Amino acid sequence: MGDQNTVLSASDAAHFLRRTGFGAAPKDVATYTGLTRGQAADKILNFNTAGVFRPRGNDSRKLRDSWLKYMIRSNRQLQEKLVLFWHDHFAAGADKVGNSLRTADYNHLLRLNCKGNLKNFVKAINLDGAIMVYLDTVDNHKDQPNENYARELQELFTLGVRDLNGMPNYAQADIVQIARAFSGWDSSYNKNKPSFNDYDHDYTMDFPARGAKVIYQTHGGFGPAGKDFTLPAGEGPAEISQVIDIIFQHTDSDGKNTVTRFITHKLLEYFGHAGPSKTIVTDLITTSSFDTTFEISPLLRAIFTHDFFYETAVPAPFNGATQKSVKWPIDYVVSTLKALKINLKQTKYDLYINGSFYSNIHNSLENMGQLILEPPSVFGWDWETAWLSSATLLSRFEFARNATNAYGNGRTKFHPEKLIDLGLSDPGDIVDAVTTYLGVKDQFSTSDRLALIAYLGAGPIDLHNQDTREVKLNGLFTLVLQAPAFQVH
Amino acid sequence: MALSRRQFLSRTGLATAGMFGSGLWRSPFIRRAYADTIGDRYVISLFLNGGNDGLNTVTPIANGGSGTLRTAYQVARKTGVGGLQLSAAELAATAIGNDPISGTPLALHPGLVGLSSLYNAGHVAVIQGCGYPDYNLSHETSRRTWETAILGGNGNGWIGRYLAQNYGGTDIPALNISGGVAGDFQQNATSVLAADRVAYLEFPYGYNSDSEKLAKRACFNSLYGDAASSLQAALSYTGSAGSATLDATDSYPGLEDLYVADRASFDLQYDTLDKSTGNDLREIAKVMYGVKQNAMGVHARHFELSNGGYDTHSDQGTSGAMDQHYGLHRELGDSLQLFYSDIADMGLASKTLIFVFTEFSRRVTQNDSGTDHGSQGPVFVIGGAVNGGVYGNHPNINAAALDDGDNTVYSQAVADPYRSTDMRDIYGTILKHWLNMSAPTILSSVLTADGGDPDLYWTAPNFDMGFLP
Repeated sequence: MGDQNTVLSASDAAHFLRRTGFGAAPKDVATYTGLTRGQAADKILNFNTAGVFRPRGNDSRKLRDSWLKYMIRSNRQLQEKLVLFWHDHFAAGADKVGNSLRTADYNHLLRLNCKGNLKNFVKAINLDGAIMVYLDTVDNHKDQPNENYARELQELFTLGVRDLNGMPNYAQADIVQIARAFSGWDSSYNKNKPSFNDYDHDYTMDFPARGAKVIYQTHGGFGPAGKDFTLPAGEGPAEISQVIDIIFQHTDSDGKNTVTRFITHKLLEYFGHAGPSKTIVTDLITTSSFDTTFEISPLLRAIFTHDFFYETAVPAPFNGATQKSVKWPIDYVVSTLKALKINLKQTKYDLYINGSFYSNIHNSLENMGQLILEPPSVFGWDWETAWLSSATLLSRFEFARNATNAYGNGRTKFHPEKLIDLGLSDPGDIVDAVTTYLGVKDQFSTSDRLALIAYLGAGPIDLHNQDTREVKLNGLFTLVLQAPAFQVH
Repeated sequence: MALSRRQFLSRTGLATAGMFGSGLWRSPFIRRAYADTIGDRYVISLFLNGGNDGLNTVTPIANGGSGTLRTAYQVARKTGVGGLQLSAAELAATAIGNDPISGTPLALHPGLVGLSSLYNAGHVAVIQGCGYPDYNLSHETSRRTWETAILGGNGNGWIGRYLAQNYGGTDIPALNISGGVAGDFQQNATSVLAADRVAYLEFPYGYNSDSEKLAKRACFNSLYGDAASSLQAALSYTGSAGSATLDATDSYPGLEDLYVADRASFDLQYDTLDKSTGNDLREIAKVMYGVKQNAMGVHARHFELSNGGYDTHSDQGTSGAMDQHYGLHRELGDSLQLFYSDIADMGLASKTLIFVFTEFSRRVTQNDSGTDHGSQGPVFVIGGAVNGGVYGNHPNINAAALDDGDNTVYSQAVADPYRSTDMRDIYGTILKHWLNMSAPTILSSVLTADGGDPDLYWTAPNFDMGFLP
């Protein structure tokens, strides 16, 4: 049992960096080793959310490339890990959004709010142009309410279909009523500013048959009276904010705040592994007062100091009790490019690994199953083993091959000789140097190590010989990046 | 979303290392085992992603017989700007049979002209009113319910459970034309490949000498074989998926050249059609042709593909060439028609069953220009051995019969002229009459009855719906 005062081993530090950022560089592992969990959490959370990055470009492809390059170069690694989490959670796809200004603003909004106040964040999401288009708020009119956003707001953004006790959180009637609140809202195409059109808003006096604007008469712990979302400021533009205020008071079937449980559970799965218990979720919410303040940052600190987060830090060999999580494709790509220290080649239309321009980064991400800015649906991406299929694995393998064979001038070429001591000649030493450099030595089992040694062949290996090096050292990097132990963390 | 929202499984249970080089696949014993379990039949599952509007897919042309369905349809679907009502004239060319009980004359959506011609040739069963009790309007939950045939949607896929019954860890009985394995194929006993194109199943060795490729391959095989036998679930999964992938890279990429060389005229027709559903079906045709030609290591009999864009909350349209729903249906019908002619030419049409489904139908009453999520809708079963015609009953879309959510009601009451078709009766009919699984085995290993009120739940299996001999 550890707590915030537990000191990080090198193994813990590597894990901490892999999960809160993109890979564990040796110098960072050295920095974090010996810190307490609390110190490490404070250090990683200490970034400013003012004046944050906003992707640039006049189409979604350029925006994606811009964001990707920023992920690689940013020293606020956790911030980007959080933006990815929220992008998956508050999912919007650039294709349907159809306007690069909206998509850039949306990405920026996620970054501004990534560790801030969750309730304010959801209120901002209500009126984010990309979300309003993606989930049809702009098509929600008083005569013909569109339920899409009202449903996904509850199902995906805040409550979940069921609470942690398996009980339903809302009824169809709640969707119907909440859809009324969002009627009449629009977003301007040129400026991406929300506007409220009073004439298109569903007022109770115009639609008496639709009943009172009351929700959660059967769920949420409000009793049979439910909650009236025209209060306190009355009908009109205030309704959507009042709806959020009510949702944040919703309690589950054992009386606990629903939204914070839903989000905490998901953050635990993101930073740790699948299946955190209700006890752990409740414990972390209590520790961080998340259910009263809705502040995300203290919750993250509580997660990063909790044993649950460190369960996946276990070194190989793994057994049936070991917990691991499948690395997201974007994590795989960014951490590999960072570690290999190769610059991508940028042309007017493409961003690619030099020497492999038939496979630009855009295609790699798409084929791995995570084209950022284009989630498959409002559900975001499927996690864990859903990331892995023959198709997506082959894309990872191809990417690893391309990255470790990058050529060209200067920093677009992969230079393993700058990363590994060429004086090493024993195959075991060389394997250890590569896995250590990539921050995964303790994640590779003895048999993994032996397989990699067998690949190098009998020593001594002369790494000063350029031909040998370019085949075998590059090849060793390829295989480590393709190895199963590198696909999980 | 969190783990296992869809829980796609690709492969687990693979034996340890040392099987690459595919010696196993060359074993006549293994190949005979395949023939015994699958027979010589194929199953293709085609998912319409987003919730296809059933009411504008199989539409009442007139009230007919004892029915009031056209009148109800005209109440629910408007004319004018944003209106979704299909006129009798628009529907005339794609008319099919009548609703069995009310006698209502029905038609397919005008965009489904390709499917209509397959229907006219007797190859299409149109099964109406398909759903499950306590319908759910979440895309995810409803899709999972359809995929698993389990209310709530938690569990392995229904095809996956069939595969798990009949195949082992070293088999590769299925391929999904996709980046990931679909939920209906999820299981943990055998291997399901996923690839957008068979040609993509090449192992990316790089520009190395043959000896270096062999060294890489041996290392890779060892790493993945060891991982497959790990006790750690995620690592074991990764290892198994990678090992199966390596096996497939031996056998599948060659199917591309084989098909292009032998079937150039069909290949060109898919190019001309230029639709993603057609292109995906062509990949299945390549594998089927490979199996027919005894291509080494190719034994897949079960396929999945999907076509997205059916979540038509807005701008759904009617029969205009540029209309959204029309475009979706046109792609679907034309692609199926071409694929059918391809496999018919191969002599495989009567060996093939295509099952077309969606997660739910849409709201009976339209919104401004589209439709919100709804309950039950039609399914298509296509194949040379299928008994073409209309099965099941049209849902009761009369305004007074709709529930509080304005959706049609699921009913199993025997006397109900609008009695629903439970998805499990369709699956059971396919398992029993196509895949030769006995009804008791189906009930013990694939499909489970709900229990409860037999008017409200699926309690009495009907695995003899009649659309298969």
